[in-house]
Amino acid sequence: MGEVILEMKKIDKSFPGVHALNNVDFEVKRGEVHALMGENGAGKSTLMKVLTGIYTKDSGTIIYEGKEVEFHSTREAQDAGIVIVHQELNMVGHLTVAQNIFIGREFKKGIRIDDKKMNEEAKKLFDRLNIDIDPTMTMSDLTVGKQQMCEIAKAISHDAKVIVFDEPSAALTEAEIEDLFKIIRDLREQQMGIVYISHRMDEIKVITDRVTVMRDGCYVGTLITEESTKDDIVNMMVGRVIYEEPKTQSQVAKDAPVVLKVEHLNAGRMVQDISFELHKGEILGFSGLMGAGRTETARAIFGADPKESGEIYVNGQPVTINSPEDAVRAGIGYLSEDRKRFGIVVQKTVAENTTMADLPNYMKGLFIDKKKEREVAKKFVDSLATKTPSVDQMVINLSGGNQQKVVIAKWLCKNCDILIFDEPTRGIDVGAKNEIYKLMNKLASEGKSIIMISSEMTEILRMSDRVVVMCEGRKTGELMIEDTTQEKIMNLATRDIN
Amino acid sequence: MNLKKIKEIPIVKKLGFNRIVLTGVLVLMYVVLSLIVDKFAGMPRIMSALNYAYFLGFLSLGVTFVIATGGIDFSIGPVMFCCALVSGYCLTSHGVPMLLSLIISVIVGLIFGMFNGYLVAYWKVPPFIVSMASMNIAKGVASVFTKTQSVSWPQAAKGGWFRSLVKVGKFPVGIVVFFAIAIVCSIVLNHTKAGRYILSLGSNREAVRLSGVDIKKWEMLAYVICGTLAGIAAIYFVGAYTTVQPGYGDQYNNEAIAGCVMGGTSMAGGLASIGGTVIGVFIIALLQEGILALGFTKDYQLIITGLIVIVAVYADVMARRRKN
Repeated sequence: MGEVILEMKKIDKSFPGVHALNNVDFEVKRGEVHALMGENGAGKSTLMKVLTGIYTKDSGTIIYEGKEVEFHSTREAQDAGIVIVHQELNMVGHLTVAQNIFIGREFKKGIRIDDKKMNEEAKKLFDRLNIDIDPTMTMSDLTVGKQQMCEIAKAISHDAKVIVFDEPSAALTEAEIEDLFKIIRDLREQQMGIVYISHRMDEIKVITDRVTVMRDGCYVGTLITEESTKDDIVNMMVGRVIYEEPKTQSQVAKDAPVVLKVEHLNAGRMVQDISFELHKGEILGFSGLMGAGRTETARAIFGADPKESGEIYVNGQPVTINSPEDAVRAGIGYLSEDRKRFGIVVQKTVAENTTMADLPNYMKGLFIDKKKEREVAKKFVDSLATKTPSVDQMVINLSGGNQQKVVIAKWLCKNCDILIFDEPTRGIDVGAKNEIYKLMNKLASEGKSIIMISSEMTEILRMSDRVVVMCEGRKTGELMIEDTTQEKIMNLATRDIN
Repeated sequence: MNLKKIKEIPIVKKLGFNRIVLTGVLVLMYVVLSLIVDKFAGMPRIMSALNYAYFLGFLSLGVTFVIATGGIDFSIGPVMFCCALVSGYCLTSHGVPMLLSLIISVIVGLIFGMFNGYLVAYWKVPPFIVSMASMNIAKGVASVFTKTQSVSWPQAAKGGWFRSLVKVGKFPVGIVVFFAIAIVCSIVLNHTKAGRYILSLGSNREAVRLSGVDIKKWEMLAYVICGTLAGIAAIYFVGAYTTVQPGYGDQYNNEAIAGCVMGGTSMAGGLASIGGTVIGVFIIALLQEGILALGFTKDYQLIITGLIVIVAVYADVMARRRKN
């Protein structure tokens, strides 16, 4: 490890309703892999966005190579040598690998783009990284892992001195992760400062030199990886213990009837031959890595995307679901992982969003019975403890957790008996998270049946009565909560499929 | 932040800050024009501006629904002309009774609305393309039907009783009808399922679809309302100006859209104000009257409405950017 190349001091950043970063300190040395850890919503990504100029900090200083800096765009940060390899890849699918790497700064021959030179330069980059990719391939033909290698090559081509990896392994296979680590070690050899954001404890132990932990937008502490145990890190991440213990046994009655039965569901590469049953009052966890096909399965069941084949039975009766309309009629509600895009109508009020799925029942002749609408919305605001000044508030002004509650209210208002929660606590602060958990347990105990898709192991272990694990579009296992362990789930989630 | 405080006053909030400002602009325009143009003040100019405001108003009300869905309709002007020409030709050359001719006008508009709406909602053809295409179709149909002849609707004295829909003696009946229909539009937009879904899908189509709503039906309905109102606009156009020529009508697209966006309807969809549209239309109508009174040609009006659309849309874009 060399001297400090990057130092962030007392960084503060607020969004309406959220204090996202609270006096955060962070530093990276040359030739160091520095892990940035914390649960979802701890502020890791926000901190990195402040660093790379996507967000403007409210206060604090950033010292880079001995000078105070402030970037106003990723471009400025890039030019200075700070690059970020995003969780979602920013690639143009129909361009070639080389064209993607040099996008925005193409080599030219006169006014023509010099593709030959770009291919050569890309090849040189790959050689330096020991990556075997043909620069003339079309980007969309590559696997996710290879695409990410390209993203890294692109980052390095900017003459980077600090590289931020934002959950780089989330979508990779084990073999690809090995390759990634090899590259990261090479970069460390070349005296770059590397920030590695990840949730995966085993990776942290393998690849990083130091670990900085954040919690609820605050800096918690920094540890030297070698000298610390997994428990040390976990304790810092969790801090005050607000989590309940994992569920030790299923809360579902032995003779609870099957309310939803899915048989041999197929919908493209991501949903292959999925079969499972959901019992009354059950919380069925869907676990797996990113890209395992869980959301796609949910969307296919709900009729949001077309399916190729498969049968769905609700309360023993076969149902045809070709559109969300059909699904809602069958009593299924779907809470998307992406609330803003798929859940709420931000320019509408809490009341209007609440009745969105059930508006025909709020009509007085031709007109909407706004009084009744408000009353019912008020009832749900109270029962779900939604924090909003009034039911006439536009949903855009609510925090993530409260927006989620509005979406829940929408489906409760429609009186759906089967609820699919897709990443119900994504982007929600820890306090609100607990409320959502309590709410889900309450709903289950009242006889609603819940499918909960979650990428958070703790969430799966804490909430589920039974766990279905998926990997690359297939169901790889089903575990009763009594004999579920993190290791078992991980095993199934990463199992090789022939 | 004095402005912010003003916006929070209950009465201002209820009427809408934007609409109050627009009304101020309208009054100011009238006062200025009255001061600088000889004999501008008085009923004749007002009646003339109203004649313009009627047909433009119906177009603008209709396109408000389409823009609320996040779509656009560039065919309304030519569709209005097509309605007037087809029904007028039926009246003058085929001896169809007056009342039936008027109904035909509305039906032609309705058919164009259904056509546009179906293509946009069910076939997912971009509204821009659909309406550009049906603009040409409307012009073509009108020319073919009338054999490229202009059509003159009868004068009031010669059985043109329909003109009493515009005015009776000196009383502007048109304004009563216009306000009545505007109120109906406002109720539809704000108090019915149709309006709720149209605005919601304009704001976030996927969220509405995933709520189990048949968004195609409601999106199509917006275009149908728009087309039908173009048919009514046609009646008021010939009621005011009697003669229609095939091959025209494009300029009214822009003016109708200008009235609508000026009134606070967002081109991005999801936000719409019928009251704003009404005031916006009056401003455009007064503007064209003023331009003519000042001795400029109609061409200046094209330039000014073009600029108004850009400024209004830019203001909307900036307002949304600030919010984010």
